[in-house]
Amino acid sequence: MSVETVEGSAAPTPKRGVSILFGLTLLGLLLALWLALGLATNAFWTPNNISNLLRQGAMTAILAVGQTFVIITAGIDLSVGAVVGFTSVIVAWLLAAGVPLWLAVIATLLIGVLIGVFHAFGIVRMGLPPFIITLATLTSLRGIGLLITNGSTISITNEAFTNFSRADFLGVPSLFWMVIVVAIPAYVFLHLSRFGRYLFAVGSNREAARLSGVNVDRTIYLAYVLSSTCAAFVGLLLASRIGIGNATQAEGWELQAIASSVIGGTSLFGAVGSVHGPLLGAFILATINNGANLLNVNSFWQRIITGLLIIVIVYFDQLRRRGSR
Amino acid sequence: MTGLQEVSHRRDAELKTAVPKGEPILDLLGLQKNYGAVQALKPASITFLSGEIHAIVGENGAGKSTLIKLLTGVIPRTAGEVRWCGEPVQLASPNEAIARGINAVHQEVVLCPHLSVAANMFLGDEMDRNGLMRKRAMTAAAQGVLDDLGFNLPADATLGILTIGQQQLVATARAAMRGTRFLIFDEPTAYLTRQESAQLFRLIRRLQNEGVTIVYISHRLEEVFELADRVSVLRDGTHVGTRRIGETNEAELIALMINRTIEQIYHKEHFPLGETIVETRGLTGPGFSDVSLSVRSGEIVGLYGLIGAGRSEFALGLYGRHPIGAGEVYWQGRKVEIDNERKAMELGIALAPESRRDQGLCLNLPIGLNVNLPVFRRLTRGLTINRAEEAANADRQIRDLQIKTPSRRVLASAMSGGNQQKIVIGKWLSHGAKLFIFDEPTVGVDVGTKAEIYRLFARLLEQGAGIILISSYLPEVYELADRLHVFRQGRIVASHDYRAASHEEVLAQAINA
Repeated sequence: MSVETVEGSAAPTPKRGVSILFGLTLLGLLLALWLALGLATNAFWTPNNISNLLRQGAMTAILAVGQTFVIITAGIDLSVGAVVGFTSVIVAWLLAAGVPLWLAVIATLLIGVLIGVFHAFGIVRMGLPPFIITLATLTSLRGIGLLITNGSTISITNEAFTNFSRADFLGVPSLFWMVIVVAIPAYVFLHLSRFGRYLFAVGSNREAARLSGVNVDRTIYLAYVLSSTCAAFVGLLLASRIGIGNATQAEGWELQAIASSVIGGTSLFGAVGSVHGPLLGAFILATINNGANLLNVNSFWQRIITGLLIIVIVYFDQLRRRGSR
Repeated sequence: MTGLQEVSHRRDAELKTAVPKGEPILDLLGLQKNYGAVQALKPASITFLSGEIHAIVGENGAGKSTLIKLLTGVIPRTAGEVRWCGEPVQLASPNEAIARGINAVHQEVVLCPHLSVAANMFLGDEMDRNGLMRKRAMTAAAQGVLDDLGFNLPADATLGILTIGQQQLVATARAAMRGTRFLIFDEPTAYLTRQESAQLFRLIRRLQNEGVTIVYISHRLEEVFELADRVSVLRDGTHVGTRRIGETNEAELIALMINRTIEQIYHKEHFPLGETIVETRGLTGPGFSDVSLSVRSGEIVGLYGLIGAGRSEFALGLYGRHPIGAGEVYWQGRKVEIDNERKAMELGIALAPESRRDQGLCLNLPIGLNVNLPVFRRLTRGLTINRAEEAANADRQIRDLQIKTPSRRVLASAMSGGNQQKIVIGKWLSHGAKLFIFDEPTVGVDVGTKAEIYRLFARLLEQGAGIILISSYLPEVYELADRLHVFRQGRIVASHDYRAASHEEVLAQAINA
């Protein structure tokens, strides 16, 4: 029997301990990067640059957390970058039409929920692979956004809205606070609630989860709605930061989000992942970009370095998993 | 020349001269395997004779898998020597083993379901001309081999549409045509119907006549007595003995394997039957029709039949997994509609499904999560799960069922078949139920664990539960069921009280002989 691996012997290291260890390794890598950049350039440890770094990483981090929920169910959400661009258009459009700020924010988040519902509907009811349905909305949403704006951008004149992204709270950029606002409930959801357990179970074996009484369809709806809602939230933050709504913004952010998640230890085969992992992954990526800018490294090189880093980190993660068997 | 010989002839040149029948072909001298501090196989010395069928029996965890992996070059040995045709060999990689003519057919088919039967048979050894595949020639040659072996299978069909049993036959044919001289079968009949098993046995005997040495691993002792010339017994990683088949009997083998007698395995207690828990009337759905039966408190109702006879489909239908077409279900006298799994669970039905791997377990998740999966709702306080209760519940099942694991955090995939089955059962014990449906609970489970599972049945009955026991293994349902229903083609074709009919009678009804 192939299931029957070496019985009773070489018991795999308890899972939770390993995941904490991996988290610490990533944290160590992040701190090492900061230390090295601090030594290499005087500009790194300046308040301005740190704020900038936290702002840069914040949006990817939020996207990556949402993405992780989907990947844990053994799915993928390619649409998050397009959702960010699209929702930035929606909020700008609503504000331009004189809709009150609070209503515009809620309406935009609701659009995110609806996009997620649509994804899950395509997967659960129409039987489409997650890759296909989210790829389809990726291109369609960009198109709809361009139609709405007629190919240009919508400026946002609401100062309360645009000031938000520049504001600090307790000396920390408000955008970074938003990561915490998302991460804490996300942690409670994924690691402490039964719905989190269901995400893992569905990602591991859908049929076994169903026969154990898990509502598989609802779990999938939940994952995609959370991912799209996180993306819509990032759309709001981006619109606030750049002061315009533009459907072509956030190009390629879905790949950044997936990369952050994977660097953070999420398995694309499902059933393995955490909340802290993708957060660290996002800030590692942001640090590399930031450091490369400070060191005047050609931006083309940044892309190459990011790619190599993904390979190295995921390779070591694989080695670790194999070793623990 | 027959089709098989024609194809396998291509490889013969690469193999060395044959060892005369009855002479040692593979000699293990103190072969040993350690994983860290754990001795998976203690120094074992076994001699395989050329042209014999050598059975290996032992409980799960006895070291059979380790032995196969050593012989097929999947894992390196810790110590000892292996002599192939008298020469010491390394067996450092699967390729080396295959090149020497050592092959294995695994219980779970490891072929490509999307390729054709012929493509699978030639995989890695394709016929080509100038780099282009000779697809038609391969299909014809494969068909020749299949016909020659007496398998009624089309060589151009996609492998995935065949039953698991048929795929197993293809895997065997594949090994047979590779110039194999030493072929290991790892529980090959676990998923086969009786006819398929018979075909497989014919093939095994035929390979033996052609001089192939066979190693046959099985939990089913009657198969061992039907096929083997000699049998070796492993227990806890130790080779405890080798017997000529004519000089031993089932009782001795079981004693060697577990130090327990056969009466202690089929543990059966009779309890006074109570009220009717569930009754179906003319229940019809995908794969079964017009099934009427009832289960009472304290009763085991056995469903016997060949694989595909509709027993599992009936169980899934009753459990709400598949839609019911017609008929009625009465739960404790009240008419109910069970249209989803949660409804079934809420009424008090538990299902330990047929396939642990596909339906029963989340293999790459911890044991604890698997055990708790049906009860997370109960473990939730407010928004979050009570971690202490979660841990306590998992640990209790691990302790009560004696699941052999250092921790609840170990992944289910690291467990042996028997322990995996215990996880599936533990899941439903912690949920609790009035009616337990066990679908093939002892497939791939060793004798010792089997006995534990049967004793567990008695405990459940004592507490007033009813059990539906589905099995393709007649002695199991025969010895345990208070009422036995025989399924064929989706219908109940006969029903018997406890031990009221003979084995032959029941079997004939199941296969319509």
